[in-house]
Amino acid sequence: MTTAPDIPAETNPKAALALRIIESVPPFAWSADASGRLTYVSPNALAYLGAPQEDLNPLRDRDEFGWRHVVHPDDYERVAGRWRHCLQTGDYYDAEQRLRRTDGVYRWFRTFGGPSRDSHGRITEWYGSTIDIHDQKQAEAALRVRERELSQLVDMVPSHLWRLAPDGEPIFFNKRMTEFLGRGLTDTDKPGMSRLEVFMQTNIHPDDAAAFREVLSNCLTTGESFSRRYRLRRADGVYRWMSGRAEPMRDEGGRITQWYGLAHDVDDQVRAEEALRQSEQQLRQMIYAVPVRIWSLPAAGGPIAFNKQFQDHLRSVIPNFDDLADPGIEIVMQELIHSEDAPEVWRTLQTCFEAGAAAAMRFRWREKDGIYRWAECRVEPRRNQDGRIEEWYGISLDVDDEMRAQEALRARERELELLVDMVPVNIGRVSPDGLPTFFNKRLIDFLGVDIADLDKLGMGRLAAAIATAIHPDDAPGFTEAFAHSLATGEPLFRKYRLHRADGVYRWVENRIEPLRDQDGVIVQWYGVSLDIDDEVRAQQALQLSERQLQQLIDAVPAVIWCATPEGIPCYMNKRATDVIGLTLTDLLAPDGSRSLTFVHPDDRETFDQALARSFKTGTSFEGRYRQRRADGTHRWVESRAEPLRDDSGNIVQWYGVTVDVHDMVTTQGALLDRERELSQLVNMVPIFLWRLTPDGTAATFFNKRLFDFFGQDPADYEKPGRSPTEVAIDEVVHPDDKVSFGEEFNRCIGAGERFAMKYRVRRSDGVYRWVDGQIVPMRGQDGHILQWYGLAYDIDDQVHAEEALRRAADKLARATQAASLAELSASIAHEVNQPLAAIVANSHACQRWLESDPPNLERAQIIVNRIIRDARSAAEVVSRIRALFRQAVEPRHPTALASIIAEARNLVTEEATRRRVRIEEEIESDLPLVAFDRVQIQQVLINLIGNGMDAMDLSADHKVLKVRVRRIGDTVQTEISDRGQGIAFPDKIFEPFFTTKENGMGMGLAICRSIIESHGGRLWAEDNRPHGATFIFTLPIEEKAAS
Amino acid sequence: MTTDDHIVFIVDDDARVREALTELLEAHGMRSVAYGSAGEYVRAEKPDLPASLILDVELPDINGLDFQKQIAEGSHPPIVFITGHGDIPSSVRAIKRGAVDFLTKPFSDDDLLNAVQAGLTQDREARLERVEMTALLERHSTLTPREREVLPLVVSGLLNKQAAAKLGISEVTLQIHRRNVLQKMGAASLAELVRMAEKLQIPITLSRRGPESRP
Repeated sequence: MTTAPDIPAETNPKAALALRIIESVPPFAWSADASGRLTYVSPNALAYLGAPQEDLNPLRDRDEFGWRHVVHPDDYERVAGRWRHCLQTGDYYDAEQRLRRTDGVYRWFRTFGGPSRDSHGRITEWYGSTIDIHDQKQAEAALRVRERELSQLVDMVPSHLWRLAPDGEPIFFNKRMTEFLGRGLTDTDKPGMSRLEVFMQTNIHPDDAAAFREVLSNCLTTGESFSRRYRLRRADGVYRWMSGRAEPMRDEGGRITQWYGLAHDVDDQVRAEEALRQSEQQLRQMIYAVPVRIWSLPAAGGPIAFNKQFQDHLRSVIPNFDDLADPGIEIVMQELIHSEDAPEVWRTLQTCFEAGAAAAMRFRWREKDGIYRWAECRVEPRRNQDGRIEEWYGISLDVDDEMRAQEALRARERELELLVDMVPVNIGRVSPDGLPTFFNKRLIDFLGVDIADLDKLGMGRLAAAIATAIHPDDAPGFTEAFAHSLATGEPLFRKYRLHRADGVYRWVENRIEPLRDQDGVIVQWYGVSLDIDDEVRAQQALQLSERQLQQLIDAVPAVIWCATPEGIPCYMNKRATDVIGLTLTDLLAPDGSRSLTFVHPDDRETFDQALARSFKTGTSFEGRYRQRRADGTHRWVESRAEPLRDDSGNIVQWYGVTVDVHDMVTTQGALLDRERELSQLVNMVPIFLWRLTPDGTAATFFNKRLFDFFGQDPADYEKPGRSPTEVAIDEVVHPDDKVSFGEEFNRCIGAGERFAMKYRVRRSDGVYRWVDGQIVPMRGQDGHILQWYGLAYDIDDQVHAEEALRRAADKLARATQAASLAELSASIAHEVNQPLAAIVANSHACQRWLESDPPNLERAQIIVNRIIRDARSAAEVVSRIRALFRQAVEPRHPTALASIIAEARNLVTEEATRRRVRIEEEIESDLPLVAFDRVQIQQVLINLIGNGMDAMDLSADHKVLKVRVRRIGDTVQTEISDRGQGIAFPDKIFEPFFTTKENGMGMGLAICRSIIESHGGRLWAEDNRPHGATFIFTLPIEEKAAS
Repeated sequence: MTTDDHIVFIVDDDARVREALTELLEAHGMRSVAYGSAGEYVRAEKPDLPASLILDVELPDINGLDFQKQIAEGSHPPIVFITGHGDIPSSVRAIKRGAVDFLTKPFSDDDLLNAVQAGLTQDREARLERVEMTALLERHSTLTPREREVLPLVVSGLLNKQAAAKLGISEVTLQIHRRNVLQKMGAASLAELVRMAEKLQIPITLSRRGPESRP
């Protein structure tokens, strides 16, 4: 790096001066070699940058200059690129960049420099300078911002802005204007034409162009301001009204330098104004031309204004009208209005003006030929915004025709009213929505009520009218019908009772019809009602009478019918229809003859023939047939018919009646069936039935079974001298039974009592069979015996079966008697212990309740009652059991006691062997027979033997049980002795439930004693010596058998 | 008067006996419900209270002894038999099957009341036992599988060292398990844990001096 060349002043004074100059001027100076290396940098530059020159040069690499660090980073690439370009091409370098001041602030500088070349044109050195342009740069930037703002303003104001040269040539259109026109200032340039001319031809409406041009050129010449409305063509071809202004701008010398113009869109405004003007004009014309007479009078006073019509009128009436300068209202009135009407008109007008109110009046005024016509005049004030009257307007219409028509109408109306009121019917009128609007005089007189009176009832006029005038029974129907008519527009025709003023209802016939206008819309309803009361009452009387007759006929519980003399049905009462389900027409065949479809097909032909015969001969008809009912069933009926003849004997009509006889017929049938059934029953039941005469002497009936059994007819028993019954008994009853049968039979017949007996009768094959026979009397109402009925059934098989059964039961009892007592005991124990357990528990509970403090006596009482109940029940069990053994179920036959002891011993032998007990017997020979129940005595024996064996269970040896039977006096005594422990309480052991055994119930001995005692004997026990016990019982010797 | 902490069931086909027993029990301040047959008793909704069952032997639908056998499977109140005619074999059978008493009708109130009271006491204990057992089983179910292995070893009286060796784990780990077991089972001491194990019928087959644990 080299510093500034140090050239001594004396060696080169010019160079030294140049250097001094360079170093003293504000721009920085520099030089560089051909490669761009800075060879010199002026000291002020180095001072500004705060960097030694060496730092500006080192080429760290090829692409970067040493001064990079002092140039603003945003600018470096640009200036470096430019510098390189210049170094290569030798172009003049000129660039702006920011350089960093020593305090770090960047300022804008402009650097420029050029090459210095040697004689061969090679670049030897670059010389340049750098100037501070910072403040200039900043001012420029500020200016640019402001300019942009202004430009935006100009473009954005909602008006067209333009500028013209002093000669009128446009030089600026703002953005809005350009957009409106659709093209810019220069787009329309045409050769040979000024821009202004082109603008005017293209954009100003042809109708306005001439005036626009004239005014503008005048302004340009004179320098006056321009102001004009014109239509401007928009880009889309539509012209819009614009309001344009332009003012000249002058220089100090007063010369016009430019014209500034502004235009804004006033199209809507202009059009609105236009429309208003047109409308106003039309109105004015209208008022002027309408064929009514209109006048106006300023409130403040002044001449009256008349429209053309009025003027014409006045001219024709007032000869010198046009000469009158100010035709005052008085004159007009005087000349115009009929003298009769004038005062009234005048008064009305006066009031109207004074009160400031509108008014209307009618009067006659004079027309041109001197005739008067009716006119209607309306007067109204026009007020300003403050409400003050500014002007009076009047309008007059010719209403002459109308007035005359009204007059004529009124006359006719009067006439009609008279007519309506005088005709002898009630007339009313009702509005389309159903409100009565008119009653004629007759109706008012009849009802005693006028329409006005109806409104007072406060229920709606129609409702009031109906409620007042129509009978309550008829009112709802009428209301409904009338509502229907109102809705549909159909005429109403109705009869009802109308309330007369004196309180009497009278029948009227009312007809209400609508009156329609040309379009068919209902305008009014007109109603007329005629008094038909007398007529209706007559008819009602007739109807009543007819109905009564009809009811009579219909109520008769029979079908009543009529037929013509030819036999064609012509009437049926209601019942016929109800019952048969047919109407009269159904009884007629298509050809007009009678149809008998209601007759059961099986009966039809007979019925038809019988009818035909009657009709033909004129004789009464009577017949039975099955008639089909409405429900499809058939019922028997009986039909009768008689002819009615006139005076000359000719048949006028047939009258017939048909009565239901079904139940009778069917009952008869059922009775027959039942009789047959019964007869079958009587004959077929497997018993014998017969019937005897009241004295029992003869049979009047045998059923078939009986007949078959005996093989004989009751008639066979008829023998002379004896009654058939006697013969029969003699022949058929078993010889053994004959006597007792005969005796019992005679006794019963004689006493009138029931006979019942089992006996044997002989069958036809000679075999006798047991029968169970009964004969009972049938008595009449007076108690008299009418007949005897006998019944018997064969019980032969049954008798034999019973015998077999008894024998089997005997065997069974014997086989089971050994076990039965033990089992019995168990169940007895259960039976008895239950109540006992309850008693004990209850007693404890009772005690407990009594012990409690305070004692619960109520509770205790309840329990005591239970105890009593249970104790009784226990006692009952015992007595029941004892009774059981006391009963003599079996007949007691005298029997040898020894045989039964042998049987008993057989039954216990096996057990005795098992328990190692020896049974010894000692039975006296020639013992008399005793009568006893084998089974019971056997039970006693087995029980006593069993007890004995039980007693010896604990004994080691000598288990001997001894049975001894002997006669002692009138008894046979049986002793059963064991060698056991003996008896501790000989007296107690026979009491029920006393036991010494582990499992004993204490019942056995009690039962045994019951049995023995029931046989008339005794049972007791004795102690043995040295040990054991003996049980002894006695049985009395049968007297009969003993003898 | 009667208290609600117990219930006596009566099954007898004889209404008089039912009535009298109910009365007797009530007179002694005992609450009872009576049924006419075993079936009725089985079907009935019964309160869940300490109970005693007075059962008649002769029932219409089933013999009382057979009924006892039938219900022996489930838990049922202690039975006091009553009978119209008792025999020794039956009573022996009944008592062997756990009946509280076997009374022959008519019986004294003392016998019955004593038997019923005994039954109630027995049932109360059984119930307590059941509750305790349930709780114990619940607690036992919270043990981890490893802890369940540790429990029998610990209650067998093995030293920690022995038990750890047995399971092939370190002594410290075993101590942790052992503490957890004690805590989870709610045992305050090893002695209590041993009692619990007995109740749970955990087999104590190992012994500290068992051949397995000999060093």
